[in-house]
Parts: sequence; structure tokens; C-alpha cells
Amino acid sequence: MNDVAHKITGAGQPDGIVACWSCNGPIAADALFCNTCWAVQPPRPMDHFARLGLDIRFAIDTAELDRRYFARQRQLHPDRFATRTPRERAISQNQAVCLNEAYEALKDPLSRATYLLKLRGIDTNPDGCNTIKDPTLLMEQMELREGLAAADTREAATQMLREAEAHVNQSLAHIGGAFAAGDLDTAGRETTRLKYLVKLVDEARTRRACFAPAAAAPAQS
Amino acid sequence: MAYSEKVIDHYEHPRNVGALDKNDPGVGTGLVGAPACGDVMKLQIRVSPEGIIEDAKFKTFGCGSAIASSSLITEWVKGKSLDEAETIKNTQIAQHLALPPVKIHCSVLAEDAIKAAILDYRSKRSPAKAAE
Repeated sequence: MNDVAHKITGAGQPDGIVACWSCNGPIAADALFCNTCWAVQPPRPMDHFARLGLDIRFAIDTAELDRRYFARQRQLHPDRFATRTPRERAISQNQAVCLNEAYEALKDPLSRATYLLKLRGIDTNPDGCNTIKDPTLLMEQMELREGLAAADTREAATQMLREAEAHVNQSLAHIGGAFAAGDLDTAGRETTRLKYLVKLVDEARTRRACFAPAAAAPAQS
Repeated sequence: MAYSEKVIDHYEHPRNVGALDKNDPGVGTGLVGAPACGDVMKLQIRVSPEGIIEDAKFKTFGCGSAIASSSLITEWVKGKSLDEAETIKNTQIAQHLALPPVKIHCSVLAEDAIKAAILDYRSKRSPAKAAE
């Protein structure tokens, strides 16, 4: 955690000016290309938000995220490097990998919340054997899963799916509010809940797929 | 990833699925979860006045290994004293079921669940002692 937290000290942008590997000219540390010789620059350590030129926050504009990601990906497209040196081709690929990683981490709200908490020093998804005992959260999830297991028609499963999706939306609103208020404890607890709810939505879709669509059901049932 | 035969057996024929009355003073309930995979496990024990676990039930929503781990532990704890049941380690469960490393946390969940159920039972019997 210290490692990650350290990286985002300050504005979350890599500091200052570095030398271009190709012409030694000065360039901004987050530049994709040297503005003197136009050589592609290797990816430097920075958080995923900085990688995409975004402020560190939960409530991001996803259209803006897409726009920035695709603009950068276009600049790094392999076709543009077909006639360049092997070193430049390798660097552009490394850049593309880092960009993809940043985009994947930020695009989905659950992984964005998890990543943001990690940047703030809270690991909600530690490796290995992490179990929780929060009775309120677990009781709620147990009841929702029992309700889903008891849904024995397509309509009932659809109803559970809608309920699960409503819970997800409500949870996202809570997480957004908690981050905006700087309440990391609540953001952490709610992110754990969201993890369960996302799983519930998956399970509800699977459950619904077990039943034939309404049109195929006997008319009198 | 292939499950071992023992996991498949417990998964397809889970033992002791069900619920006990959580308000019964002789029943202890443990509720634990593994958020990484969205698992939730409820394990209940009925304890005789002599401190022997007479019955155990579980309800688990999770993967095959989580279901097998909870099914196995309910079999193991029946007839044991609370002190004996408390000494069951997740490594024994993992070994018995031949769980792969990525599924070890499922056995941890079962160990935590039985411990939570014992703690719940004890706190019902003497709230001050269990809190120590």
C-alpha cells in the first residue's frame, strides 16, 4: 500500500521533466511522444487516473474516460510504428499495455472503487484468505440469495434481477457520496457490499436463463 | 481447474443442508463471507447441556469448494465437544478435500464459520465470558 500511496503524493502526476531516450531533449514525464524528435516514450510509473489524464476521483465522466483512452490508443496503434525501429515498436507496445490496464481498472465502477480505496491505503481485496463477519451485510446477502434460490419462474427470477440491479445502483450512489465526503470507511464497507451485489446480479441472470421466456410457457400456467 | 472427487461428492450430495432456530438458546449461529468471490456461509450448531455438538446445519452460497468445505465440517463437528470442534484447522479441510491453492480460502471460511458459531453459542450462555 505504501508503494502505491507514495506514487500519488501530490497531484498524482509524475513530476517534472525527463530526458527523451532518443534525442535527450527535455519532455514532460507523462508525455507519450518527444516533441523534439517525436520518438515514442516509455510508460513511466503513475497511477491509472494520471495515465489517462484524469483527476483522482470516483465520479468520473465515463464518456470522457473513453475519449481519452481511445485517443491515446490511436496514437499508439502498431500500424503507426510499422516502419520504426524495433525499440520504438517495443516501447509503444508497453505503453499500450499500461493504457489498457488503466482503462480496465477505471471503466468498471466496482474496480474503480476498489482501486481508489487502494490508492488511499485501504485494501478491500487482499490476496489470500480474507473473510468478513459484518452481520448486517451478510444477513442481507444471505436473504437475497435465498430469495433468488426460491425464484422458480422466469418472472420471479426477472423480479430478483431487477431488485439486484436496483441494489447495485443504490450502492453506487452510496459509494459516490462516501468518496465525495471523504468517508473512506463507508466507501470501503459499501464497496464490499457492491462486490456481493454484482455477484448477485450475475447469479440472477444465470437463474433467469434457466427458465424459458414467457411466450414458451403454457398459456394456462 | 478440476475438483477432486471428494469435493464433487460433497457438492452433489451436500450433508446437513438446512437451518436451526437461531433464537434457540442451545443453538449457535456463525455467519461469514469471502467478499473476493461473493461467498456467504451460515453454519449452525445445536449443543447439548453437556457441551456436545448434537447437530450441525449449513447454508452456503458460493463455489463448489465452499459448499464442500461447509458440508464436510458439519460432518466432522457432530458428536464433538465445543473445545474439540474449535481445534479444527482449515488445513485439515483443505487436505481432506485436496483443495487447490486458489481455493484454500474456502476452507478458511468453514473454519471461521464454526468458530463464529461456537462464539455465538457461548455468548448466549454467558455473555461476559465469551466477550473475554
